[in-house]
Amino acid sequence: MGFLTPWFLAGTVAVGLPVWLHLLRKHKTTPLPFSSLMFFEKRTQSSIKHRRLRYLLLFAARALLVLLLVLAFAHPYVRQSVVASARSGEVTVLAIDNSLSMRTGTRLSEAKSAAKSVIGGLRAGQRAQVLAFGSRVQVLSEVTDDHGALNAAVDSIEPGDARTSYGELSRSLRSISTSLKLPLAVELYSDMQQTGWPSNFNDLRLSAAIKLNPHPIEAKETGNFAVENVVAPRRVYDAKKTRVLATVAGFANKKATRTVSLMLNGRVTESKQVEVPENGRATVEFLSLDVPYGRNKGEVRLDTGDALPADDTFYFSVERGDPRHALFVQEATGSRAHVFFKAALEAAGQSAFEIDQATIDQVSNVSPAKYAFVVLSDIGAVPPTFETALKEYVRSGGSVLISLGHLSMSRSKVPVTGDAIQETRYAGREGERFQTAAWLDASHPSILKDDRWEGVKFYQTIHVNPGSGRVVAKLSDQTPLLIDQQIGEGHVLIFGSTFDNVANDFPIHASFVPFIELTARYLGHLDAGPAMVLVGGFGELRDSKEKGAAVDVLDPKGERALSLEEASKAQNIQYTMAGFYDIRRPNGRNELVAVNADRHESDLTPVSTDSVTLWQNTAQGTASAGTTSTGEDQKPVSLWWYVMLAVLLLALAESLLGNQHLSVDKEAAV
Amino acid sequence: MLQRFLDPATLASISSLDLVAKTVVDGFISGLHRSPDFGFSQEFAEYRAYTEGDDLRHVDWNVFARTDKCFLKRYKGETNSQLLVLLDTSASMGYGSGKVNKLEYARFVAASLCYMASTQRDAAGLIIFDEDVKNYVAPSTRQGQLFRLLHAIEKAEPGTHTDFSKPFVHFQNFLHRRGIVIVMSDFYADPDEIVKTVEPLRYRGNEVVLFHMLDPQEIKPTFKDPVLLFDLEETTKSLEVSPEYARHEYRKRMDAHIETLRSKTRGAGMDYFLMDTSRPLDECLREYLQVRKGRM
Repeated sequence: MGFLTPWFLAGTVAVGLPVWLHLLRKHKTTPLPFSSLMFFEKRTQSSIKHRRLRYLLLFAARALLVLLLVLAFAHPYVRQSVVASARSGEVTVLAIDNSLSMRTGTRLSEAKSAAKSVIGGLRAGQRAQVLAFGSRVQVLSEVTDDHGALNAAVDSIEPGDARTSYGELSRSLRSISTSLKLPLAVELYSDMQQTGWPSNFNDLRLSAAIKLNPHPIEAKETGNFAVENVVAPRRVYDAKKTRVLATVAGFANKKATRTVSLMLNGRVTESKQVEVPENGRATVEFLSLDVPYGRNKGEVRLDTGDALPADDTFYFSVERGDPRHALFVQEATGSRAHVFFKAALEAAGQSAFEIDQATIDQVSNVSPAKYAFVVLSDIGAVPPTFETALKEYVRSGGSVLISLGHLSMSRSKVPVTGDAIQETRYAGREGERFQTAAWLDASHPSILKDDRWEGVKFYQTIHVNPGSGRVVAKLSDQTPLLIDQQIGEGHVLIFGSTFDNVANDFPIHASFVPFIELTARYLGHLDAGPAMVLVGGFGELRDSKEKGAAVDVLDPKGERALSLEEASKAQNIQYTMAGFYDIRRPNGRNELVAVNADRHESDLTPVSTDSVTLWQNTAQGTASAGTTSTGEDQKPVSLWWYVMLAVLLLALAESLLGNQHLSVDKEAAV
Repeated sequence: MLQRFLDPATLASISSLDLVAKTVVDGFISGLHRSPDFGFSQEFAEYRAYTEGDDLRHVDWNVFARTDKCFLKRYKGETNSQLLVLLDTSASMGYGSGKVNKLEYARFVAASLCYMASTQRDAAGLIIFDEDVKNYVAPSTRQGQLFRLLHAIEKAEPGTHTDFSKPFVHFQNFLHRRGIVIVMSDFYADPDEIVKTVEPLRYRGNEVVLFHMLDPQEIKPTFKDPVLLFDLEETTKSLEVSPEYARHEYRKRMDAHIETLRSKTRGAGMDYFLMDTSRPLDECLREYLQVRKGRM
């Protein structure tokens, strides 16, 4: 017997109250006058004796009542032996790990064989269910006693590329137990990989109705090599300027030399030897990525011959294309702004854009539609035809970057957007030598995260009324410095200064390069998505305007990943296996998505048996001491209700006893 | 309805004793008005045939006119009977478990009787005593007698202990005429001694009535717990009494005492009447008068 809240036992001192009331309290006798004592006799001794006898039972009842109340608060329980097989209606759940690590050797087949042997040993009428789990739990069968169906469900389990998640398994088991309202005996077949353990142990908590029997499959530390990561550009414009960086990791390995190969579209283009230190990592750099135009499948493959070959290949997709043209319009040729802008774009790495410069006189008949974006660098008068063309260009989805300088002051409004130019501010004239960028909207695509444009001095700025535009940057005097104005489908970015290192010194600061690169990508609609995603990740199939249009998705096996209904309705897709997903959208925006297994699976170190025992005990209360050698479980049974029932009965008895004494007094009063 | 106001506790709230007496007596007299032959005064008894020598003043001439025969009208009793109330004011009479103690109750009864006698033109007197005679109002029918009586009753306060033998010797001297003597006391003494002391009052042809004034707590005491009791007349004397004793033994003794006193007083030709101070005053008086009528 034990107590859940033993501190309440301190309340036993309350027994002193009835003791004081009945035994210790002095019964003060107040002398009463009476007309004559001639008919009375002295019988003190007998009366006191009788009084004590009469109240002794009441005292006992009250003391016991207090004790039972204290006991109820202390929440007593006893351990009751429950024979495991005697749990009525118990459902056997066969949970089989099919994560990537189970591809090691014959682990999965061993697990399936073991599960089948359990199915064979089920008694007639004993029901079971088959689950497969990785990062998600798949219910493969109904709760049934049909051995055929259960064996078929086990057979249908195929090795997956997902990451093990024991937390997700626990959550699903709790959910199944709740919905079935029956005790579960979970037979778990897994390699008990440590990386599958959740960071919070509470996620593994099982309900009392769940009995977990783990069956570790080849749970031993196994050496393994894996291509842990590959850094490759998603788009290539110049093959010679592109490089691929691969990281090779060894888990529980000895120092070894391995061959790493770069493959493009199934063909090895380059191989290198790399020495992987013991339990360490090594990097391999491929200095060119000579891929043909279009979407290409890239792989970095490791030649290891270890037990888990699935993580020896890392997939990435790369698209080869020509740089897109951008129009840089200035007042006159040879401006420093063009030089700084172009230099910044080129310094960013790959030249996704080629800058075509033009003066304001040359653009009258230029159609902006063929450019990725247009830059208007501090220009005065804009030819009306060009401005009209620009407006139309923006409405249909084009983008314009406008920098405002002293020439812009000849206009009262900003070109294209029509926002009012309010004033020119010269910092020097106002007592301060310069202004600084006081606030940047880090959520805007033009602004690099954590960049504050520190040290950038703005001497002359043009104050534009932002209207309905989004202010992305402000100066220290709260003047809007960068405004994003959306017109139709397109955007106009208004920069309240110039790029020529005269009105400010922004171009000669390091933060200028990422700003120009990100702005160019944003304006040129060049998204910078990752070159690859992990198994279990999601990809967007369509946006809100593409409702009803069918999207074809071919999985790494070349099969359609979506049904016809899903193809026309699904907003996104979950990548469930490693390889290349070919997504073909109706607007021609096709995509080749490289999906890789989570490299946490490459670490085959099993979790300690102590941890597994702890996990088991979350369902069974206290430690393994609770399970006896005879297969019986020690289940705590609360005695609270019994104690409260006794309290109720005793309270009833106490009131009856008290009433009886009162009735004696009443009788005396008659 | 009037009964409600005759509750002793209610009467105790009336400060004026004459008003109390008037309230009690007027109430039950008016209630008994239909009874033709009731009360102390002279009343018609019978007709008797005239014989020679009879006083012609008693001839009922109305009957003679109707029947042509002479009949004498005879009356019951004689008028001008005398009422003497002996009121015990010993300390024990000051006991009361309710709002009214025994002495107050006895004062109400005495005042009511005096008022009743006064309305019938009977001479009424009062002796207040404890171990000695404390006050004496000689029986009289003079103007203002009632107020003298009531004043004396009102002044009566609990005194010392009772001693029947001492004052009763003197009472003989106060009784010059035959009449009714009412003794009001709690009679905490040996019944034989009481009867022996009171009995001489009857020798002169007096009608003696003992009003035994007792509190309900004295008749049937109810104690929840053992209590320490001290005697009102002898304050140094105290006893711890168990409820069981009070419930059983004491009651037996008290009942025996009452019964002995009742039988011995009646055996001695006196009248005995137990007055429970918890009962309405007029109810007690009515009951007494009913008993008295039965005897007459």
